[in-house]
Amino acid sequence: MTWLVWRQHRAQFCVGAALLAALAVLLLITGLQMASQYHSAVAACTATHTCANLSSSVFLGSHAVGFLVIMTLGAPVLAGLFWGAPLVAAELETGTNQFAWMQSVTRKRWLAVKAGWLLLAAAVWGGVISALVTWWSGPDNALQLDQFKPGRFDIMGIVPVAYALFAMALGICAGALLRRTLPALAVTLAGFIAVRAAVTLWLRPHYISAVTVTHSVLNGYTPPGSAWQLGQDVVGPHGNLVAAPNGAALYNIPLGYLPASCASPARGAVRIAPSCRAALASFRSVVTYQPGGRYWAFQGIETGIFVLLAAGLLAVAAVVLLRRDA
Amino acid sequence: MTTVIQTCGLSKQYRRVSALSDCAVTLPEGRISALIGPNGAGKTTLLRLLAGLAKPTAGEMTVLGGVPRQDPAFLAEVGFLAQEIPLYRRFTADDHIGIGAHLNPRWDAAYVRDRLRSLNIPLDRAAGSLSGGQRAQLALALTLAKKPRLLLLDEPVAALDPLARRHFLATLAEAVACGGLTVILSSHLLADLERVADHLILLATARVQLCGDIDALLAEHQILVGPRKATTAIEKTRTVVQAVRTARQTTLLVRGNAPVVDPDWESAEVGLEEMVLAYMSQPSTGQPSTGQPSTGQDGASAISHLTTVGEDQ
Repeated sequence: MTWLVWRQHRAQFCVGAALLAALAVLLLITGLQMASQYHSAVAACTATHTCANLSSSVFLGSHAVGFLVIMTLGAPVLAGLFWGAPLVAAELETGTNQFAWMQSVTRKRWLAVKAGWLLLAAAVWGGVISALVTWWSGPDNALQLDQFKPGRFDIMGIVPVAYALFAMALGICAGALLRRTLPALAVTLAGFIAVRAAVTLWLRPHYISAVTVTHSVLNGYTPPGSAWQLGQDVVGPHGNLVAAPNGAALYNIPLGYLPASCASPARGAVRIAPSCRAALASFRSVVTYQPGGRYWAFQGIETGIFVLLAAGLLAVAAVVLLRRDA
Repeated sequence: MTTVIQTCGLSKQYRRVSALSDCAVTLPEGRISALIGPNGAGKTTLLRLLAGLAKPTAGEMTVLGGVPRQDPAFLAEVGFLAQEIPLYRRFTADDHIGIGAHLNPRWDAAYVRDRLRSLNIPLDRAAGSLSGGQRAQLALALTLAKKPRLLLLDEPVAALDPLARRHFLATLAEAVACGGLTVILSSHLLADLERVADHLILLATARVQLCGDIDALLAEHQILVGPRKATTAIEKTRTVVQAVRTARQTTLLVRGNAPVVDPDWESAEVGLEEMVLAYMSQPSTGQPSTGQPSTGQDGASAISHLTTVGEDQ
């Protein structure tokens, strides 16, 4: 069976390996440049004691490569589209399953070996890309501290492996159910985007309950380290939530909530009238965030979710293929 | 003699359409059985059920001593070639031989290569670029290379030219003569089947009309030619399969070979083609002898269980 899998997929394997090699060369070269750029910037700012605002004064690497790295968000689904969806659907569509299934191999073993090798290939695909991107982003993560944010979290660490497994399983399942390659491709793409978006938007913020910090609006607050800030609300003197500003505002508070003295700040220097300052002091800012220390816990939870989804989809595909007539 | 296939009440329903109903077939070892029937009679369904590619809705079957199942030992013994001739379009003959070699316990790669060479079919060209006949030859050779004990072929010769057809059937007969092989061969080409087959399964409208050794079946049937008169006397001892009436005479194809007492009737032997066509042209009421209820026929033709052809009244 393994021989058949290899014979059927060796061309795709070569294309995949070539793409990975090209990406590796590009990221290795630019990654090394960025690392040296970062180290010299740190050395320079240490000498002049200006490291506090290093993140805003230095831009590492190039926009083009940075864009390409963000595009690896879509890499996992490619595995599902090009390997997963046709895996079963193309055979059912052309009837070649009737050739394969009349050799001395049970359908169960046929599916297990085929899906097994391709899941492994998907995991390697997702893993290699993620390893490259994670290493490449090292200096940038140290500078911007944003690896926990959606869009960055999704292309680093171990989650890309789980996404690739999920995409592959989704493709196989869609192919087994729809029995045609093109519809299976469409469902895989749409399903992958929908599930990833839903998990990112609605589930991920709640894996562990967020940390809430309340402070005066007059003192700014930034969650420490590479935290993922979920929201910032302003609470008024009576504990009422202040609506987001939709026009003139001071410290994110619409002027309607504030005394008239806040409406006309003194000319020239930004000075706030004492009566306005007293009013502002009664407003609180509430910041909710996930601390940077939870990064790997979140990676683990998200990986678990997508691996479980993949297992469920594969189970459905197996039941459909084994129960239905060929 | 051992029985290779035995089915009882075998039925297959696709949604509301009955593809095969109440099918009882017995096939002894070493036979080449011709599976005949009009389009849509259930030939492919029967073969797919026997191969284990589809599951019956009702009924039982024993194939090679067991129920068709997902088991390497069973699959190794059964060769099935689908009508669509499924091959991997991008794979060469050599690739297909490789697949077979990796997936089967018994595999005669040399046989496939020799056969393709003798037919001048290239081993290194993608199957998709071969002609229809060449693909059929390749698929047949691959099916035989598995060395199955039961070979199920769904219209294998349809894509072959007359010479290749004769060649293929000769190969088949040879393989069966070597022993241990039983074949079911579905086809519309009666003349071809007559040459190699010694057993017949005739399906019409999802039901088995005839099943048995061809010689025995032919001996059971006869043609009676007589004056145009009532056939009730004949029907007492025989089943009228087909009746053709002209102004002066009646020709009956009957089942049952009791001697004819009435001197008005002359009997004659029946040929395979005549017999098969008579059964195939029956209305969709199933076997007349069993008096099965009519399905989708209007009342008048359901009452009369005679097929009347060429009536000139």
